[in-house]
Amino acid sequence: MATHTNGNGSVPQRRTIQMTHGNSTSSVTAVLTESKYEEPIQVLPDTNVIKIGGQSIMDRGRSAVFPLIDEIVENAKAHQILIGAGGGTRARHAYSLALDLDLPTGVLASIGCATSRQNARILQMLLAKHGGVYLNPEDFEKLPLYFRVGCIPVMVGMPPYEYWEKPTKGSRIPQNRTDSGVYLTAEFLGARTCIFVKDEDGLYTDDPKKNKHAKFIPKITVQELMDRDLDDLVVEHIVLENMLKARNVRSIQVINGMVQGNLTRALNGEHVGTIIHVD
Amino acid sequence: MASPAVSRPKRAHIPSKLMRESLLNKQVMASTDSDTEVCILPDVNILVLGGQSILDRGKKAMGPVLEAIVKSRKKHKLVIGVGAGARVRHTYHICLDLGIPLGGMAMVAGAVDEQNTRLVASLLAKYKGIALNKDHFLDLPLWLEAGMIPITTGMPPYHYWEPPNDNPDRMPTHGEDLGMFMMGEVLGGRSVIYIKDEDGLYTADPKKDRNAKLIPAIEANELLAMDMPELILEKSVVQTMVNSRHMKQVQIVNGLKPEMVSRALNGEPVGTVIYCGEENHPSKGMWPWTDGRKKAKKNKTSKTSAKKSVRRAR
Repeated sequence: MATHTNGNGSVPQRRTIQMTHGNSTSSVTAVLTESKYEEPIQVLPDTNVIKIGGQSIMDRGRSAVFPLIDEIVENAKAHQILIGAGGGTRARHAYSLALDLDLPTGVLASIGCATSRQNARILQMLLAKHGGVYLNPEDFEKLPLYFRVGCIPVMVGMPPYEYWEKPTKGSRIPQNRTDSGVYLTAEFLGARTCIFVKDEDGLYTDDPKKNKHAKFIPKITVQELMDRDLDDLVVEHIVLENMLKARNVRSIQVINGMVQGNLTRALNGEHVGTIIHVD
Repeated sequence: MASPAVSRPKRAHIPSKLMRESLLNKQVMASTDSDTEVCILPDVNILVLGGQSILDRGKKAMGPVLEAIVKSRKKHKLVIGVGAGARVRHTYHICLDLGIPLGGMAMVAGAVDEQNTRLVASLLAKYKGIALNKDHFLDLPLWLEAGMIPITTGMPPYHYWEPPNDNPDRMPTHGEDLGMFMMGEVLGGRSVIYIKDEDGLYTADPKKDRNAKLIPAIEANELLAMDMPELILEKSVVQTMVNSRHMKQVQIVNGLKPEMVSRALNGEPVGTVIYCGEENHPSKGMWPWTDGRKKAKKNKTSKTSAKKSVRRAR
């Protein structure tokens, strides 16, 4: 490399750092085989990451949210719980307005965050007297502190991609929304469980709100679910794609938060909704 | 497993096209597609300064290329994104050795970009260079109108939320090249130009293989199909470009020949052009999406803009 010229005479030298990685482009496939790195650590393996649906729970107001809050508070005594908030009908309104204005996906992602943030702040206020704290994505590293003192952190579900949300073919809705952000949080932390609290028992063969003959699917592998290529899904498709490549969270459960006791049972490792798993 | 038939509280909806719909439903998703998208800042050119390829070479490489950029600023609206280079590779090496998970690597890597942003901002301060924090993204129009050259960290803000990948090297796939491509795409900008230390993309790494040949233009899908073991540009850029609605061309130029930067900005294909779809082949013009605007401007010709376009033609 030092003798390399580009027809321009002498080429200024790169300042390098000697290490196993060498100095070629960072997508070198040989790196791992040469260096034999160990498996990554799990950052907070006792965490239970729970997503509270926007349209499915928050938009139903007090009668749906309050019983769930009670159940979360009760369970937080025995479990470390991190809550991610969904968006819901206001996010949809904002998306449809932005779509009508011909705005790109990145703008939709950046405005979608705000609704999820509202819901996170609302949940924090409801949980405040029981130790609910709002977790800014910039304060993510404070999670261990909050757990150590018995708090219930609540955060925005959307991942912070905003304008950097990549476009997709065939739709301008951001593919990474609150399910994706919550799942990736759990995956990064190496969380114990990742539970999606919605208003249906789990996954059906079709939208049960529209089709009375839709059949319930209690357990399914990610691959099988992708192969079925259903018209409608219970979690964002990108969550399934990410699960296939994930190291930590290889199984998620979608539960019905309208049925009291479901969350408690799911946190205790019981099968109460639809389990979507890789292995 | 059916839930007991309790009276279910109703959802409070706001009427909208997507109200009550599942955003996971295929038909609903398809209804949101569009061929026309607003260009937020159509005149902006994104210049990506390679970390290892340019920055790590210090004054001898940086001086001339920054001079070329400063000169071009009078003619073009520019945003500079900086890469990371040797220190980010070292960061990844230490992180992998310690078992830091992927999202943690993506989170800490950004600091190297920040260092490089400050280096470049210090050099360009007297020539209207200014560091752009992503929190000030919405101030871009002001700065560009004032003739400033915003300089920003290239890494996209994926941080701990970097999605898992199955690459054997276990490193984040959303780096500086992708971050700056996305800035050009979401802004509906004029161009994205990658400034590296080679004339462009070669059939093999020209630093290792003397018989490697320069590829002046290549279609994005074809490039992906070639599945080259090493690319001069992050693969995620090419993968994203295939789905892009706006930025259907990017150019890689040699920053060690600084005149290439000015020529590329003037719309010449002087390095490697990666394009998506044959209608965007560089032989049919660089950045064809700007043609419509040029025509619109010509129709409204005033004396001053006529002069400007003459000057541009030269």
